[in-house]
Formats: sequence, structure tokens, C-alpha cells
Amino acid sequence: MRKHYTVAGHGFIVDAESSVFTRMVQYQPFQDDSIDNTLFTARVHESVSPVIYTENYRQEDEGQTIICGETSDGNTVFEYQLENKIEGWLVCSHDYKEGDVYCTGHQWLFVLNNAMMMMYTVITSDRLTALFHSSVVSLKGRAYMFLGKSGTGKSTHSQLWIKHIEGTELVNDDNPVVRIIDGVARVYGSPWSGKTPCYRNVDYPVGGIVKLKQAPFNEIRRMKTIEAYVTLAMSISGMRWKKWMGDGIHETENQLTATVPLWHLSCLPDQEAAEVCSKAIINQEIK
Amino acid sequence: MRQKKGLVLRDVCGEKVIIGEGLEAIDFGRLLCLNETAAWLWQRASEIGDFTIEDLAEALYEEYEVSKEKAIQDVTTIVDKWKSADIITE
Repeated sequence: MRKHYTVAGHGFIVDAESSVFTRMVQYQPFQDDSIDNTLFTARVHESVSPVIYTENYRQEDEGQTIICGETSDGNTVFEYQLENKIEGWLVCSHDYKEGDVYCTGHQWLFVLNNAMMMMYTVITSDRLTALFHSSVVSLKGRAYMFLGKSGTGKSTHSQLWIKHIEGTELVNDDNPVVRIIDGVARVYGSPWSGKTPCYRNVDYPVGGIVKLKQAPFNEIRRMKTIEAYVTLAMSISGMRWKKWMGDGIHETENQLTATVPLWHLSCLPDQEAAEVCSKAIINQEIK
Repeated sequence: MRQKKGLVLRDVCGEKVIIGEGLEAIDFGRLLCLNETAAWLWQRASEIGDFTIEDLAEALYEEYEVSKEKAIQDVTTIVDKWKSADIITE
């Protein structure tokens, strides 16, 4: 059975046994049967035998390992591991429009989410769209994005806004999508949100982006061009291994650098941090 | 000399920078800002492939109105910077 989904206006299809969909709860807000144009299709299978490939490189983060490689036919492969145990694979077609997701066991949702994010990232990389590593809140019709390395306190900072600044709501806590349409950057909720179950199908114009850094004080400053560009590049889940992907991501980063204010916040995990931050960035949105 | 693989010259809101992209440079760890002349020379070097200081000086001499001595001098300074930034190989 097939179901259609839309995230930030980009459609895709998941093809799987019906029992799989009943457990894809986080994708339900994004189901969209009216859509005709889809960018990619993911077919979900229970794995029978391992995928054979040559490793190109690997990323390790908090017990999760993602290995990127290639089959003998030149198809891109991702292997997903948790605590060094193989949980599944994604095998992409040459044009990245089709992907076969193989799951070995109980952690199939971990495999599916990573595979879907990967396919989404690759296929949208030349469409002024980027999947971010960020926690996002909304306030008075605009969204504010918090960036930083794992463990910096992005989620904590969002929670401080929610607690102390009236009207603030969480949009997404880990993997929002930013898309530029007619020169305006908007941030969209997604079916991926890390450990926080916040899968909202909402979107707002981006009012500001803030890079967080832990410090024994609260202080905010506006970033200059190059620093802003690098900050964006480090927070975008971009794959730059083909020229069209690198060119596309660069275009997105460049347009964001030019249109959205970026800030650097040195902060404590306290009420004053949220106040210092919000006071500076709200109503400072036009360069 | 040759440019290292996986490096791309980009225009970031009007500023010329070299960044690592592609499989050979998956770690987006560094970014190098270039002035107009250096960016222009980087482009030439990329077209030539296996380039020498003389190749670039010749190109600079033809494009810009500088003396041959000045061209050699400028190119040497810039190429030395590339060497110390480890973005070219001998």
C-alpha cells in the first residue's frame, strides 16, 4: 500500500505493508492524498539478507553510526547502526528518486526516519530547501530557530522561551525544514523531531536564526556574512557529494545569509537568556 | 602544482571563498577568504590543472595591466598562501 506525504510543500510516497503505516504516527499530520507531484518514493521492506556495498565514509554520533557507501552497480547505500548493531539499509536509485529501505528488526522506525530524511535532503538540495539541525519556536506569526552542536542546549533554550515569553510555541525540536519561496525564508515542521514528539504541520516566516554557545553570561551579537554562512552550513544536513547538490545547498545558504538575520548568543540556561535573546532579535528582522 | 580535490570556489554574498565539498572533503571544517585577484587566479589554476607560477603570472600579465616582474611577485605571494593553507599540492 502507498501513502502520500507533503513536507514543506515537497511530496513523497511511502510504499509499505499496511501494518507499517499504523506505527508511522509522526507522519500522519503530513499525509496528503491530494498531491500529484512527488519527488521520491521509499519502499519499505523487512530485510532478508544483508546489502553488499563498499564503504566510503562513516559518521558516528551518540551511539548511532551511519555508513555511506556504494553497491557494485554504483547505487548509493546507507547502513544504519545503533550501538554497533546493524538495524537496516537504504539503497538509492541513480537519480535518487527511488529508495529501498531494508529493516532488520525492532528499530525499523529509526532506520525509516533516517532513510526518509536522507532521501528528502538529497532530492530537495537544488530546490532552495534545507533540512536543519535546530530547535524552533514561533511567536506572533514568526519563527525563531536555535542552532548549535548536540548538547549545547537548543531544546533547553526553546523551553525557556515557552516558559518565560508569553505566546511562544514549539514548532519542531530537532529537524525542521527551511524553504525559500519568492525570496522569503519560511520554516516548516516535519515528521522528524529528535527525542521530542513534536510533529506539527505548521510553517512561519523565519524571523531570526540564533547560534547558541554555552557561557557563564548572556550576551548576543549579530553575525557578519561569512560567519553566518558557515554557521548555516554546519547546521544543514546537506550532502555535497555531487556537484548539483553542492551548488544547490550553497544557493540556499547564500540566500538565507542575505535575507535572514543571524545572531550569536552566549548563554546560560536561565530566564535572562531567553529575555536577552528575544529582546534583541524580535523587531530586528530587517537588515 | 595542483589544487587539492574536493575544494570549490564559491561566492558568498559577494565574497570569494574556498570551501571543502564532495567526498574528498566531507568535513566542512574550514573556509578560506580570497581577494578578487586570488579568486581569479584560483579559477585560472583550476582550468590549467597542473599549473606553475609562470603559467599564472602569464595569465595575470595578460588580463591585468601589470609588469611581468610584478605579476611573478604577486602570484608567488598568493601561491605561498595557498601552500601554507594546504589547499594545493606540489
